[in-house]
Amino acid sequence: MSQMITITINGKDYRVEPNQTVMQAADTLGFKIPRLCYHPKLSIEGACRVCIVEVEGQRNFVASCAFPVSDGMKIKTNTHALRRARRDIVELIIDNHPMDCHTCERDGNCELQRLAASMGIRARHFAGERKRYEEDLSSEAVIRNPEKCILCGRCVRMCSEIQQVHNLTQAHRGFQTVVMPAYDLPMAESVCTACGQCINVCPTAAFVEKNYTQELFEQLNDPERVKVVQFAPSVRAAIGEAFGLPIGQNMEGQLIAALRKLGFDYVFDTQFGADLTIMEEANEFLERLQNKGTLPMITSCSSAWMKCLEQFYPDLIDNVSTCKSPMSMQGAMIKTYFADKMGIDPTKICSAAAMCCTAKKYEAERPELMFDGMRGVDVVVTTREIAWMIKSAGIDFVNIQPEKADHPLGLSSGAGAIFGATGGVMEAAIRTAYELYTGQTLVDIEVEGVRGLKGIKEGSLTMDGQEIRVAVAHGLGNACKLLEVVRQDPQRYHFIEIMGCPGGCVGGGGQPYAAINTIPLDDKALKKRAQALYDLDRGKTIRRSHDNPDVQKLYKEFLQHPLSSVSHKYLHTHYKAKLPKGIIPKEAKKIEVTQ
Amino acid sequence: MGDLTERTMDVKETRYKLTLCDGTACIHNHSKAVQQALETELDKHGLKDSVSIHLSGCLGMCTKGPILIVNPGYIMYGRVQVEDVPEIVESHLVNNKAVTRLIITEDHLYNRFFRIFGDVDFFGKQMRIALRNCGIIDPENIDNYLSLRGYEALAKALETMTPGQVIEEVKKSGLRGRGGAGFPTGLKWEFTANQDSDEKYVICNADEGDPGAFMDRSAIEGDPHTVLEGMMIGGYAIGAGKGIIYIRAEYPLAIKRLEKAIASAREHGLLGENILGSDFAFDIEIRLGAGAFVCGEETALIHSIEGHRGMPRPRPPYPSVKGLFGKPTLINNVETWANIPVILLDGADWFNTVGTETSKGTKVFAVAGRVQNTGLVEVPMGTTLREIIYDICGGIPNGKRFKAVQTGGPSGGCLPEHYLDTEIDYESLAKAGSIMGSGGMIVIDEDSCMVSLARFFLEFTQDESCGKCTPCREGTKRMYEILTRITEGQGQPGDIEKLQRLGEMIKHSSLCGLGQSAPNPVLSTIENFREEYEEHIQDKKCRAGQCTALLSYTINDKCVGCGACKRVCPVNAIEGVRKEKHRILQEVCIRCGQCYEVCKFDAITKA
Amino acid sequence: MLTPLQAIKKKRAEAVNRIVSKGYLSTKRVYVGMATCEIAAGSKEVMDVFRQAIANGLTDVYLSQKGCAGRCNLEPTVEVVEEGKIPVKYGRVTPQRARDIVERHLKKGEIIAEWVI
Repeated sequence: MSQMITITINGKDYRVEPNQTVMQAADTLGFKIPRLCYHPKLSIEGACRVCIVEVEGQRNFVASCAFPVSDGMKIKTNTHALRRARRDIVELIIDNHPMDCHTCERDGNCELQRLAASMGIRARHFAGERKRYEEDLSSEAVIRNPEKCILCGRCVRMCSEIQQVHNLTQAHRGFQTVVMPAYDLPMAESVCTACGQCINVCPTAAFVEKNYTQELFEQLNDPERVKVVQFAPSVRAAIGEAFGLPIGQNMEGQLIAALRKLGFDYVFDTQFGADLTIMEEANEFLERLQNKGTLPMITSCSSAWMKCLEQFYPDLIDNVSTCKSPMSMQGAMIKTYFADKMGIDPTKICSAAAMCCTAKKYEAERPELMFDGMRGVDVVVTTREIAWMIKSAGIDFVNIQPEKADHPLGLSSGAGAIFGATGGVMEAAIRTAYELYTGQTLVDIEVEGVRGLKGIKEGSLTMDGQEIRVAVAHGLGNACKLLEVVRQDPQRYHFIEIMGCPGGCVGGGGQPYAAINTIPLDDKALKKRAQALYDLDRGKTIRRSHDNPDVQKLYKEFLQHPLSSVSHKYLHTHYKAKLPKGIIPKEAKKIEVTQ
Repeated sequence: MGDLTERTMDVKETRYKLTLCDGTACIHNHSKAVQQALETELDKHGLKDSVSIHLSGCLGMCTKGPILIVNPGYIMYGRVQVEDVPEIVESHLVNNKAVTRLIITEDHLYNRFFRIFGDVDFFGKQMRIALRNCGIIDPENIDNYLSLRGYEALAKALETMTPGQVIEEVKKSGLRGRGGAGFPTGLKWEFTANQDSDEKYVICNADEGDPGAFMDRSAIEGDPHTVLEGMMIGGYAIGAGKGIIYIRAEYPLAIKRLEKAIASAREHGLLGENILGSDFAFDIEIRLGAGAFVCGEETALIHSIEGHRGMPRPRPPYPSVKGLFGKPTLINNVETWANIPVILLDGADWFNTVGTETSKGTKVFAVAGRVQNTGLVEVPMGTTLREIIYDICGGIPNGKRFKAVQTGGPSGGCLPEHYLDTEIDYESLAKAGSIMGSGGMIVIDEDSCMVSLARFFLEFTQDESCGKCTPCREGTKRMYEILTRITEGQGQPGDIEKLQRLGEMIKHSSLCGLGQSAPNPVLSTIENFREEYEEHIQDKKCRAGQCTALLSYTINDKCVGCGACKRVCPVNAIEGVRKEKHRILQEVCIRCGQCYEVCKFDAITKA
Repeated sequence: MLTPLQAIKKKRAEAVNRIVSKGYLSTKRVYVGMATCEIAAGSKEVMDVFRQAIANGLTDVYLSQKGCAGRCNLEPTVEVVEEGKIPVKYGRVTPQRARDIVERHLKKGEIIAEWVI
């Protein structure tokens, strides 16, 4: 227990812990020093200079996010000189920023706007040249708009420190400084994995997801189309936040009702697709286990993760499960099984998906996932987009009466629900694999060992005397760490779950922006969203994927059995190495390269 | 510039050259009387034409003054009294026999240049400690350095001093960082030594980015071994085994000489394992910069070596605690390192006698601009600006008037005439509104526009800003825009106040030294030359005639109508009939100045 | 086993020997300034003149280079040092002037006053 020290803030003495920064100490005491580039999960940047304070004995203002407290320190947070300096600094940012708030995606929800309002900027004294850049619209998932960038460096740190993709950096100098991928490549040609975490931390609209709401509205108004939608587990756990509801409320019923009101003919649940994925994947794993196939097997439902693997770990492609993601499996079934059942021409179906994920937009366009000349999913919108569509259509989301999803692709088990949380896929797979392999019921159905926000989780279970070692990683940075271990020691694990976003899909790049007094990636928020899914799981009677009667029916009527040739055609795929400019493949084995 | 025949003596006839110390202590000890006695004595012996007497600045041996040096032969006489003069003249100058009882053999490392250099006027007031071997030895030959007590300081430290004692000596010397910040070097060494770590690093900051500054370049090109020796001593003192010299890539010759020096040192067992037979192991590596001024800032430099973008980070933690690769790192400037061997060999007590109360030792200045003799000057702290500009560098050429002196490179302030008697040290320059910086000194005469100068420096810092923090990246750009408007005649009332407001904010809020000092030229010129700003803004006039947009060329009555100007005008702005006074159309004139250049009759007024 | 101080003194003695054996004790020693500013002013060509002269038979001259002497506006600089005489420092030396220095000063002992600093 370290000794407390005394500091003085604005004339009053306080006892605080040592070994923290002025900002951290001030936060615990209720002084919320204004800030912009600081984020507790990212390294200290000290770039924006908005959080400056006066410390007695220091010649200049110091950044409170970086300056450590010491015993006897005298701090002032709100002097006239500080207020003027902060105000001028924020004005300088605005002077180099487009003045198009009314037509901007973040209007009303922009950190720069809030900061400027709190500074009381009523006139612009230093207006001058403004930077001009083209918007980068190349990617299907993440749009980059350097004109709106305020160079806080959060995206750079997020992409480098937490995701460890290192796609973004500040380039050039002085007034020409801009955040961009290496060589100023378009995002689509860079190593960007489309995970969208940059969007989550960006205070302005410099990074936003590619918006498909207009296209979707057009489809919804087209009487010739049969409009089908599916939505991910994490969407229902977070969409309430976009409507001002507290974090962690499961709005499944309301969302289904709202989607119907928007005009969708059929509302299905991606959790059904999740159950289907477990059927295929658990069987795939057992097959590899029993026939000495390539182990460890790595899950493949996270599309950002798949792009990351194809770029940086192509030598491990054979380890990855050939299963498609739940969304893509669901999409395939919509256009084959469902269309057939209802006698609908599949080319007339508009298959939409509301996802927590930006990478799913990239995934939906992957040519490898096509079948019979068709895409499984035609339009992917994020939680933010669907929330906006609901608001825009004038639907009273908060008070709407909940409804249930449609058959035959709407029923889901608890295992399918927990897919959104990190460790959920592993837990669901264990529930099914154990019972398929041993023929016995898994008594402890809630596998605590793979739950929680630890970066890399390890565990093991025994199936019929055989020890199965598993690992779970969330966030691409942890995934890379884990994969290095696998490269060194391939015997260490049998089965690995990887989710590209910190916290799992509940922390996806498409989730609602952090509310006014919270920060992005807040651990508490992620835990609450995950808890909503775990509670959903507990509330269901069917908790194992293989117990889902609609899934069983699907196999009986169409797919025959897991890993059948029909399954392989529609539910499985293959991956290839991708080498964007600057990436040199690790010489593990001869790999086929696609650019 | 520079009159080669300024000496009144015919050099062919000179047989002896006497150098008499004219420093304060020697004057106190009646050196003036000695000088007079000498002159009388020489006259008596008819030697006035073949023996020249020169006065030099303080030679640093004040306890043994007055000092008289006789060349050739470099015989140094100490405690010379008036009574000794006849004997010296008779015995030494006439009969070529030195007066042994007066000879002092104190062989300070820095005294060597008097043996070789002939131009005492330039070198007389200088005291070359950091540059003691520059211009004397062949920098590509380690034998030269060895023959002049090279690496003896290292040997002394390794054999007779503990690391702690080395640090104490450096602390006692009062040496302060010569890179500009002036932090007490000994303290920095102590902080780094006190850190507990398996790995520590020593870095030499040779990324001399100030435009027009070449102190470090010359020091390395002239005497690379002194830097290496200093770093090794530093490594020994703090417990580091690895040194890195970060030098800008634009110095290929310096890099070549460093590489050669390092290779020679390795050959001689002066780098590597078991240096000079001791337990100490140290090696030095060279890393090149890539054209970024900001990488002269220590944390940005460290990031650059680590392979990251050269952007500074907030301090604390300081590099002495957490530096290169997270390890305790001692980083000093080239000039600081060059002083270290001298401190160990000639002693911190002696070093203390040079300089002022708070700033010990000497400082190298690269004097440029409107002076007779530009060049590299090393003077003891406490020398006044006037002495450097007028006595050493010969004053302003072409009869122009002195206007200001800018110290510290693009981060420094402009000091007008009433600061000329400022004794140079860290505190006094800061109090005057400028900084010591790394030693750039630019002399400005009446033909330079202060607003234009401030804008020039701001253009540089704006271009070199790393772009990380808002005040420097955006603020300097806005200041630059305002200054550009002013020099183009678009200045508005309130512009000066805006510049001051922005400048103060940038100075106090920026992340690193580049931003914190970028507004200095602007703020100091506003402080000291406000009338010029006001003239630019309100009267749209540039009194120095430099801002072309504010100039107007008019033809006066001396015009004879030759038409020469009309012929050269690129935009046909001049009208007139032959033999009649011509006229310049102000709306068309682009102020290129061609007419002014060709007119033989002084008929064009530039105002 | 030598102590560091002993070792360095031995090195110094050896270094002096090497310098002497290369002709340091010649009657005349010629130094040409070779820092970047001097090279930019043309000191390499000047150095070549002296090298050529020695190759052509000019005896008893020790030629070496120096670093920056600080006299930046008077470059290239050449120093001629003779034992027992005051060192002579020439400024603004062109290759032609260097040849004159070889002929008049080094061969005939004439100091060319107009070029002396």
